[in-house]
Amino acid sequence: MFEPMDDLIERIARHLRRPVQIDPALDGRVMREISALPTPGGATALRKAWGWLRRPHQVTLTPLGGLAAAAVLAIVILLSRMGSTPPAPPLAESRAFQFVLVAPRATHVSLVGDFNDWDATRTPMLRTGREALWTVVVPLMPGRYHYAFFVDGSRWLADPSAPVARDEDYGEPSSVLTVGGGS
Amino acid sequence: MTRTGTRAALPLLVAMVVAGRATAQQPDPRLERLDTAARPTVAALVDSARAAMLPTEPLVQRALEGATKRAAGDAIVAAVRRLAADLGHARDALGPTASPAELTAGAAALRAGASQATLAQLRHARREPLTVPLAVLADLVASGVPVDSAAAAVLGLAARARDADLVEFRRAVERDIALGAPPAAATAAAATAADVWVNAGARQQRPGRP
Amino acid sequence: MGIHSVGTSDAALVRRVQTGDAGAYADLVARYRDRLGRYALHMLGNREDAEEVLQDAFVRAYRSLGCCDDPERFGAWLYGILVNRCRTAGARAARRARRFVHDPAALETAPFAGPDGRTEWDDTVRWALARLPSDAREAFLLKHVEELEYEDMARLTGAGVSALKMRVKRAREQLQAMLKEAERV
Repeated sequence: MFEPMDDLIERIARHLRRPVQIDPALDGRVMREISALPTPGGATALRKAWGWLRRPHQVTLTPLGGLAAAAVLAIVILLSRMGSTPPAPPLAESRAFQFVLVAPRATHVSLVGDFNDWDATRTPMLRTGREALWTVVVPLMPGRYHYAFFVDGSRWLADPSAPVARDEDYGEPSSVLTVGGGS
Repeated sequence: MTRTGTRAALPLLVAMVVAGRATAQQPDPRLERLDTAARPTVAALVDSARAAMLPTEPLVQRALEGATKRAAGDAIVAAVRRLAADLGHARDALGPTASPAELTAGAAALRAGASQATLAQLRHARREPLTVPLAVLADLVASGVPVDSAAAAVLGLAARARDADLVEFRRAVERDIALGAPPAAATAAAATAADVWVNAGARQQRPGRP
Repeated sequence: MGIHSVGTSDAALVRRVQTGDAGAYADLVARYRDRLGRYALHMLGNREDAEEVLQDAFVRAYRSLGCCDDPERFGAWLYGILVNRCRTAGARAARRARRFVHDPAALETAPFAGPDGRTEWDDTVRWALARLPSDAREAFLLKHVEELEYEDMARLTGAGVSALKMRVKRAREQLQAMLKEAERV
């Protein structure tokens, strides 16, 4: 079920509003470039500045301006509280996939792959039945995933029921799972 | 916004910049799992890919896989660099409008042995997204199907088959291979069968037409 | 460098520059660098071009600071300069991005500037944004990311409010369609 346009646009905008860090060395490059330039403004600017200093000024806020300022302040508070930004929640619905491994002599098996940042602690599998089936159900978004089973903290096993990952770079077996979208 | 509203908002915008800079300076916690030798190079590769508008999440995941498998820093850097190059080659073949998912699947197909010409032919053959056809192509080769046979089969089906049809086609090939059929023969047989049901499905959607 | 004092207004800094204190301009640059850099980055799609355009905008702004009639609106005035520079640099940036992809050696020598997006969602949003026509992308960023009012956008871009509203509407519809397509796989 696709979310309404306003929610999607707001999600995109919120993502794009995240702070961007530009290389601070740019400041030095700008200053070096302007060092060769004449002072902008000159005497006319002096007269304007003197006139400005002598004139009284009053800052007032319209109701709309006040709302805008409050919104900006809320963003400041939110940004100051943010640590590492968690991934945005997925748009499309995920599908549940069950992973199964037969390993009667294993004492601990975990599922590790692209869907859990290859974190061996995140998705432990559960031993079921007397045949020593290890299983876990994982919701997956459409995509293509490399994964493997990590057995007893020391052995990597590919999934015998899945294609082998041919683009294996690390000398340990991995499998591939492709999750299609409905079309 | 009125002039007075703008005047009042600008100092607050400055405060927002301060808070924003504080947040943006925090390092990516996932890349900290890499050793200190590999981390800056991998981060630079990720940043370069981002600058070239290539997807970066596959690169991060490839690096994390290496860290978890306790690969040497050199191996991790080489793997990430290789994948970044494959993503670039995939974009050369699929065009600048290819989505991140298509590029990732395209990179896998290229790594499996498919040619850029095959990817470009797929792009011309099919208007729908190419992620599943490319992934099926890569998976077939990973299952032992010769790359030319896999490419020909996927190209033949891509124009008319839905994503679900292509996934089912791949499952059929893998089933037959598991039962002992030679991979190329299994592919040809499954492609013929798939062609039949794809055409049957197309006829059902257009009743009355031959 | 850096923000010495949040309480020093733009207008005060501009006046100091106009009376010969070039160092005060460094404060203005530091103050607006990241905020304007965000717009340039999203508009042009790559950091190298964004920084080049940003630097150019700052230098141009310095040169014509005497024409800044209302120093209290320095930020908005600087913004207008940046929007124009981004428009000029748009086609050049696209060509350079394609050359960059053809140069695998470039991937080996890139400077590290810190990650600012690291999920598939980020990749997808950046891809979809890059596919918008440049005028629609500009309008969408000014309205929904920089959160400007249409009247301010009209002053920055020179386009009418009606035209800007149409561009924003087109951008929203196209983003919706593209992200729906991206989620089909």
